[in-house]
Amino acid sequence: MPVVLARIDDRLIHGQVTVGWSEQLQPDRILLANNAIAADPWQIKVYSSTVPPGIRVSILSVAKAAACLVDPENSSERVLLLTGSPEEMAELVRIGIPVGEVNVGGLHFSAGKKEMLSFVYVDRQDLRAFARLLEMGAHLSAQQVPGGREHPLDQAQIQQMGENF
Amino acid sequence: MIRALVITHGDIGRELVRVTEMILGPTEGLTAMSNMGKSAIDITAEIKKWLESSPAADSERDQKLILLDDYGGSCATSAQLACGQDPETAVISGVNLAMLLGFVTWRDTGDFSDLVAKTVQKGREAIVQVGGR
Repeated sequence: MPVVLARIDDRLIHGQVTVGWSEQLQPDRILLANNAIAADPWQIKVYSSTVPPGIRVSILSVAKAAACLVDPENSSERVLLLTGSPEEMAELVRIGIPVGEVNVGGLHFSAGKKEMLSFVYVDRQDLRAFARLLEMGAHLSAQQVPGGREHPLDQAQIQQMGENF
Repeated sequence: MIRALVITHGDIGRELVRVTEMILGPTEGLTAMSNMGKSAIDITAEIKKWLESSPAADSERDQKLILLDDYGGSCATSAQLACGQDPETAVISGVNLAMLLGFVTWRDTGDFSDLVAKTVQKGREAIVQVGGR
């Protein structure tokens, strides 16, 4: 499955994804990798209902999403891949999904998180996952919407946040 | 009294509530919430907190209406997740000023389901071409 966008966004499936990026990239499928939602039929129903007609949607556990992405049977579909955290994306890349660019779309403030950018708040766990993604050869770029400013994220910026891995 | 929560992007909701009160006077049980700067989990938690906040003393049942600016966004998803299948809460989208004015005016009369239907109807009726060509 060619991944047209691999995005980390703690709002998961929402307007910036279903309207902003989907209008621009025209994916065949939105694939959300999230263990908690994949285990709850009601949440699957709610999140699936927000995807516009014409785009298929799958909500799978991280392990199942990875299996689905590397399966050669599914090679024709263009996929917009979403996770709610850097750690889940790092896990997908570790398993071997073909991703070069990772879009950091939005990590909102919550207790214990520090501001990296106005739409990216991180804790130590997030920064460690960013570092792992970089180590595995992924490029990280923070950008909320198509046409918005791109902020490349590298090791130096992780260190600036006071963390060294 | 039926409570209402207006959940929107940016400050749309706060302004809609402010203007509603400018027209109808101070209004109890009408609250605005923004999704700005919040994750899906935090929006859901904030809605749950409002749902569980104590109802007005004169209410027999704590019936609640959630009005959203857009169907399919983070506000809509979080509202559905927060409400679950609660029979005392209705969620509608496409909030506009006419809907809020109608809701506040009618909320003490009649049946909850009718009120929800009338509020939706009022919102639709308010969308018209009023002039030009």
